[in-house]
Amino acid sequence: MSENRHFTTRRSFITGMGFGAVGLYGVWAAYGAAPLPFSTHHEGLHDGHGEPAEAVGHEGMVHGARLGMTPETFRREHAAFVDKFKRPDGSVEPGPQAAIAHDMSNHLMMGDDTATHDMSDHGMGPHEMSHMSHDSGTDQPVDLYLLAFMWGYNPDTLRLRTGVRYRLRMMADDITHGASLQLGTASRIIRLRPDIVSEQIITFTKPGNVLIYCTVYCGPGHDRMQGKIIVTGSEPGGQS
Amino acid sequence: MSDTMPSLTDRIAALPGCDKTLARVLFGSALLALLLGLGFGWLTALGRAGVTGFEPLLAARLLTLHGVTVFFYWLYLAQAALLLVLAGAEQNCGGLALRPLAWVGCVLMLAGFAVSEISSIIGTPLLYDGGPALGRDDPAAVGWFSLGYLLLGAGLAVSSVSVIATVLSRPNSGTSEPLSAVGFALFAWAGFLIVSAIASVNAFLPSVLWALGLGAFPANQPTEWHILFHNLHYLPLMATVVVWYVLVQALTGVSSMHGSRFSKIVFASYLLFVPPTSLYHMFLEPNLAEGVRVVGSLLSLFVAVPTVMAFLIIVSSLEAHGRSHSSSGGFSWVRALPWKNPVMSAIACSALNLALGMTFAFVLIQEKVAPLLSDTFFVPGYFHFFAVGTVSLSFLAAMMVVLPALTGTLPWRPSLLNRMPALISVGLLIFGAAGIAAGFVGVPRRTFDISYGGDAPALWHTLMSAVGIGGTVFAIGLTVLVIGVARSLFQKIGDVTNQQPEVSWGNTPARASAAAWVGPLGVLVMVLAMAVFTVVAFELMNALPLIVIGGSGGHSH
Ligand SMILES: [Cu+2]
Repeated sequence: MSENRHFTTRRSFITGMGFGAVGLYGVWAAYGAAPLPFSTHHEGLHDGHGEPAEAVGHEGMVHGARLGMTPETFRREHAAFVDKFKRPDGSVEPGPQAAIAHDMSNHLMMGDDTATHDMSDHGMGPHEMSHMSHDSGTDQPVDLYLLAFMWGYNPDTLRLRTGVRYRLRMMADDITHGASLQLGTASRIIRLRPDIVSEQIITFTKPGNVLIYCTVYCGPGHDRMQGKIIVTGSEPGGQS
Repeated sequence: MSDTMPSLTDRIAALPGCDKTLARVLFGSALLALLLGLGFGWLTALGRAGVTGFEPLLAARLLTLHGVTVFFYWLYLAQAALLLVLAGAEQNCGGLALRPLAWVGCVLMLAGFAVSEISSIIGTPLLYDGGPALGRDDPAAVGWFSLGYLLLGAGLAVSSVSVIATVLSRPNSGTSEPLSAVGFALFAWAGFLIVSAIASVNAFLPSVLWALGLGAFPANQPTEWHILFHNLHYLPLMATVVVWYVLVQALTGVSSMHGSRFSKIVFASYLLFVPPTSLYHMFLEPNLAEGVRVVGSLLSLFVAVPTVMAFLIIVSSLEAHGRSHSSSGGFSWVRALPWKNPVMSAIACSALNLALGMTFAFVLIQEKVAPLLSDTFFVPGYFHFFAVGTVSLSFLAAMMVVLPALTGTLPWRPSLLNRMPALISVGLLIFGAAGIAAGFVGVPRRTFDISYGGDAPALWHTLMSAVGIGGTVFAIGLTVLVIGVARSLFQKIGDVTNQQPEVSWGNTPARASAAAWVGPLGVLVMVLAMAVFTVVAFELMNALPLIVIGGSGGHSH
């Protein structure tokens, strides 16, 4: 019976069409967003702090080293960061040279156990540690710390430069918040859970003012929860 | 289904009086929930459009009330009512088995409805997920709110036991199989409801215990909520395809030409395809490893398989029978469908809205674009195609068939009601298009005042105004439709059964050579649209003046 039917009314055809949306995988692949599930470093949902500082394998970048920054370390480093780079107008402008010096003073001694422990506290994966020892830290990213709280960000204004690699570490202080960056045409949304340190390496490619805003409802002050990143060209008297 | 079986409306009309009373109470409460929730939603939309400047606490309260009332009470009271009536009709004239359980279930659900509404009006607004973190200083609000959901869950579970007992109580006469395809679907649907009720205990009992001082702060609630919530939005979708299956049969006499076993496999496959696909809600979670995100993304590609297959079973059977009955060939069978019947219009619009909803849902399952779209207005922008355009329209269509049969009344103003599905869909299209665009440009999902002291793009306000306009249009259409449907609950005209236009294509089998192109072409267009909007998302993402490595969503260039 079924063999005589028009092919569009056969069960096998219907079953096949049922999987039609799987074809979207082709578009994902075209954008390099469809690696085989097992080609990347695979770890389960973990309740540890932080996350892998990794980029997926297909471009051969840093592999999934799990960061171990605790909320306590974050709070300490955050306070030191704000204290060190605060300007008279209240904004925070981290200097690359200063940041490298800061990093180097903390991590100058390689190889001994204490230093390694200190490293992992700072969230460095093994790859980065070896990277650092070979390149003497010259292209280390500049550390940034952003704390989201009810209802604002600390620091609420950051002054950054284009073309500089920043290691942006973020954490929510009390309840879940977002720290989304409005970048003109669209935004980059980030969800921050309390006491879990998120980390991204970011580089701005254009100067401009970036609105930081909260994308997770966090109480009556949610609507006014905002901050700002002022991005200027990296050359003195630069592109803007 | 057997030819000896009386029509659906006759079987509903033959239900025992007490079952009819129960069904009327549940349908009436469901419609009340829809009207209330729609009102809260409309005010929310006006607030988002900037028409009304609600102070933040009131705005959050309206949003909470909207979500609680429509998502939980309208969608789940309606499901309970439809399940009980369809199960009673399936059993054919004996009525419900374990009837006292069905009544206990009804009382529990209505108690939950009252508790949830009152706690949302009085307490700290927790949004519809009842997250305890927002109510840390108001344990009473968290406790009462969670208790409302627990009562709803308990009521659904108890009612579902009655449904399962009913469909299993008597083999469907006239077939060799113990259960018809519809009977099996009702069984799977009720089983899925019981599983979800158990998940709701995991999600909400710890909050009640904490509020009573009997347990620790329920820090794990967000995770338990995710598990529950994923089930909760596929249940209405499964219910929708079951409703289509039943209604198309009632309207045209056509049942599946692919055999009831095939339909049963597809209905059962919801239980296979839905649970493993839940990770896409969590792509922005900072402690979700990249590997898990990638796997979650891949698995999500399969989430629509049962829905698309059920759609194709129904449409191909309809088309093959339609072509066999149509003299002029081609797609003239489409014109021969009973378009003057509001049930037909509602089903057709609901299928179109399903395709729109799926198109955008599939943009969101790509973990690399999650940082562009998650937590933005993209999410409510697309899910209203499902919640309003697909599920609510289908449930209302079912009620247009069931309620007149239940109460022995004529449907109210069918020619007026027949225009509402299209009006609602136009409103949704404006709401959805503007909302999805707003999401693409970063408008946050749950922020009422999006001015940010003038730092936000001007486009945000324009798009959200259009969201308000679209929301108003579909709210008007939906209100008229609900009022029209609800009149059948009360209006006594006499012993008249549904006399709406129908066709009877099911009397003769479809020609073997008859093709069925509408379904597969529809799926093809939908997949192409998914591809187009996925490309848009990637392009927008890659054009951002920011290079990101690591963290949620990996890197982009
Ligand atoms: Cu916030």
